Amino acid sequence: MRKLDLCLSSEGSEVILATSSDEKHPPENIIDGNPETFWTTTGMFPQEFIIFFHKHVKIERLVIQSYFVRTLRIEKSTSKEPVDFEQWIEKDLIHTEGQLQNEEFVARDGYATYLRFVIISAFDHFASVHSISADGTVISDFA
Amino acid sequence: MVKLAAKCILAGDPTVGKTALAQIFRSDGAHFQKNYTLTTGVDLVVKTVPVPDTGDSVELFIFDSAGKELFSEMLDKLWESPNVLCLVYDVTSEQSFNSCAKWLEKARAQIPGSSLPGVLVGNKADLAGRRVVDSAQAQAWALGQGLEYFETSVKEMENYEAPFVCLAKQFHHLYQEKVEVFQALV
Ligand SMILES: Nc1nc2c(ncn2[C@@H]2O[C@H](COP(=O)(O)OP(=O)(O)OP(=O)(O)O)[C@@H](O)[C@H]2O)c(=O)[nH]1
Ligand SMILES: [Mg+2]
Repeated sequence: MRKLDLCLSSEGSEVILATSSDEKHPPENIIDGNPETFWTTTGMFPQEFIIFFHKHVKIERLVIQSYFVRTLRIEKSTSKEPVDFEQWIEKDLIHTEGQLQNEEFVARDGYATYLRFVIISAFDHFASVHSISADGTVISDFA
Repeated sequence: MVKLAAKCILAGDPTVGKTALAQIFRSDGAHFQKNYTLTTGVDLVVKTVPVPDTGDSVELFIFDSAGKELFSEMLDKLWESPNVLCLVYDVTSEQSFNSCAKWLEKARAQIPGSSLPGVLVGNKADLAGRRVVDSAQAQAWALGQGLEYFETSVKEMENYEAPFVCLAKQFHHLYQEKVEVFQALV
């Protein structure tokens, strides 16, 4: 089966919710495949966004590029609707001044239709997410 | 256009007028509480403040907390992760001015490593005859601490918006600075 970056908007994925949005730095920037563009949080934490694949996928490896993110929780759902999220990954990231956080997760049980990312806390008043990519395979398209 | 959200903690000794200030701001000058009711926990006032000369705004979540020492342990939880600080004293009380250093330290300790934009507010400016804290002295101290200085009379409804507008501006400025940092990363 062909392996691809499942999160890309060009592959049909979509950010269906984000708790904050600056018109200049919208959440779509997370999945445009370009780490130069980013989404910013615009206030108090927690902050979250949800990525919808529009199909059933199996994720093998997840990479998130961000800045100032401290505690990150990732939940996933395998429903057709954005419901029944279950806890998947939670991690405290490290902050290095002036350097993009590049966090890689090797996924166990990576079956999903939606991913919810919750930034529980940050190292500063604001945080940014530059890109999220998920290597894996498409299991099935929605009927 | 962006709407930011900031947690603003309102700090200062008992009876300096924190609740009066928050309430007059909330009600656009319609509501001055003459009788004193001490705040025991925390009251939340939410109000959106446009940032002058931009299309942007800041939604302030003002945590009006108790000045009384008795409640100070509770504050640690309520004060978690503040974004901006509004520090209030009473111009007729030397003690309330002297306490500001302590309140400021307590607030800054909540977010070590990040800056906390803030203002110092000398309230009850209407009580001119009883004033004991000199404006110039307060202003100089504020400047030294990196705080902007304001004098207000909530009773006379004077200048009560300016400190909050200033906080919104400072927070907005901080946001723009961070966006530049994010932009320079890649
Ligand atoms: N003369 C005068 N009185 C004021 C002014 N602002 C507030 N007061 C009065 O000061 C008293 C105390 O005000 P509060 O706002 O309750 O004080 P506080 O800082 O919230 O006190 P705590 O909740 O105990 O920390 C009230 O009786 C107010 O009416 C002012 O600008 N001028
Ligand atoms: Mg009060």
